[in-house]
Amino acid sequence: MRGIYTPVTAIRRQVFARIAKLAYEGGDFARLVEDIPFKIVPGETARYRDSVFKERAIIGERLRLACGLDVRPASVHAPISDGIDMSAVSEKFYQPPLVNVISFACNACEEKKYTVTDGCQGCLASPCINICPVKAVRMEHGHSIIDEEKCIKCGRCVDACPYNAIIKVERPCSQACGVDAIESDSLGRAKINYDKCVSCGQCLVHCPFGAIADKSQIFQLIHAIKDGKEIIAEIAPAFVGQFGPTATPDRVKDAIKQLGIAEVYEVAIGADIGAVEEAHHYVHEVVSGKQPFLATSCCPSWSVMAKNMFPTIAPYVSQALTPMVATARIIKEKHPDAMVVFIGPCSSKKLEASRTSVRSDVDFVITFEELMGMFVAKQIDFSQVPSDVLEDATGAGRGYAVAGGVANAIAGSIAELYPDVEFKIDRAEGLSNCRKMLALAKAGKRDGYLMEGMACPGGCIGGSGTIMPIARAAALVKEFQQKADAQNAVQSDYISK
Amino acid sequence: MKVLHVDVCTCAECVMNGCMDIVDAIESLKKLKSDVKIKTQIIVSTKPCVGDALHYDKSPIVSVGKKIIEHANAQTVMSQIMELTSKDVKRS
Repeated sequence: MRGIYTPVTAIRRQVFARIAKLAYEGGDFARLVEDIPFKIVPGETARYRDSVFKERAIIGERLRLACGLDVRPASVHAPISDGIDMSAVSEKFYQPPLVNVISFACNACEEKKYTVTDGCQGCLASPCINICPVKAVRMEHGHSIIDEEKCIKCGRCVDACPYNAIIKVERPCSQACGVDAIESDSLGRAKINYDKCVSCGQCLVHCPFGAIADKSQIFQLIHAIKDGKEIIAEIAPAFVGQFGPTATPDRVKDAIKQLGIAEVYEVAIGADIGAVEEAHHYVHEVVSGKQPFLATSCCPSWSVMAKNMFPTIAPYVSQALTPMVATARIIKEKHPDAMVVFIGPCSSKKLEASRTSVRSDVDFVITFEELMGMFVAKQIDFSQVPSDVLEDATGAGRGYAVAGGVANAIAGSIAELYPDVEFKIDRAEGLSNCRKMLALAKAGKRDGYLMEGMACPGGCIGGSGTIMPIARAAALVKEFQQKADAQNAVQSDYISK
Repeated sequence: MKVLHVDVCTCAECVMNGCMDIVDAIESLKKLKSDVKIKTQIIVSTKPCVGDALHYDKSPIVSVGKKIIEHANAQTVMSQIMELTSKDVKRS
């Protein structure tokens, strides 16, 4: 559902704005949070589901997740506010799992089936019957019928029908999941297999019933701001254009400061550092023949998937610090007492920041959608926000936001540092495509390659916590890249330092 | 050729509530001009604010010609555009 603003999107964003407002204004959280579902779903009649009570109950669980609390099944009787006072703290409040199914919001869509539509003409040729390897298709009263018990879901009938009358119906969440992590509970509702899930968040943006949501840290971040802690933000390169045409990159920096955050750095600083490090690594390890290929490491969902599903080639995933961590370490060096909030496009960074090795570097992670909720809660008027120049990074680092940008940045560094070295690049976006690329690598067909993997189609600008349509965001990122003083990562001030 | 101005508010509330998707929807309508035979030129502009300031409960706000649409969405805006240009429309 990317690129189409739907009631699901509206509800998700209203929840963030309401929770941000609640945190900023303070008061009796236990009482105030119970009122929010009535503000988001006013009146006495249901708008999207069979009952207004159910609509509000689902909002209630989304509010809990936005506060970092656990989601509950319908069988548990408890107020929305149960535990909210414990979550009203000025430090990270997070217990796994990150991505959650609100089970009673799930439509229990059929997992996968092939069905014959009214477009069937009952033609004489009946290629659907002839091509089926298990005799699952028959003709009845001039209409093809698929016997679901026999069907092995090979899809050959779909390709054979000259009227395109046979369709594949699949759960949108499963379809969006590139690691087959969506299973079913006893009632046929979606259930996430957390051994497989890499928290890319694509299921939550593709569920048409809004039944999947991730936990947020905005409630705790705002408490930290209100407690007077020094908070430094690092903002991922995909932020450009996310907050509308009035919110230019320079204004976004100042707008973030108006939220109570002391300073803002571009994560593209860390991207520049990573690009140069991976360029050296590629030349010293891959070109020299010590290892067969190098896979980039900046997208945590991609790198975790590679390690989980292809353990034998896991050592060839770059060990370079991700841009988030590299930038956070620079910030902590300059501001040793500060807390760092990473503002980015996706859920998976929340998981990355919870790793033991990263926990001390990054204190909070929020998405662009969640930041937007904070802007709305604080009534930030971008047209009145002064510009505060962002000039931390090179064009190459800023390009990490868009699919292909990571490989381009590394390639640029290799060309600059090792002009005589020839390199080969492959890249994939979307986890299912990434899997195919890694399968080729495992089979020895990507030897000598630098491989870029991006879990989200389009790259980071297609992340689950983004706001802008992908094409629009890509154009604006490119424009911002061109404005950088330097274009090659090796020219970064932070490299020479 | 007649001109129809469509102004889309891009304040924080309106962006959060999907105003940029409305812009995309109008742009897509312009591409369909030949199919629906609209002769009016549609000019879409984004504005820092349309209507009253701090319109949290009314966003997104879009003005189509002289009409202000509150709680706008792609459907209501495109429908208003089609209504205002209906005299020019000759469906094939």
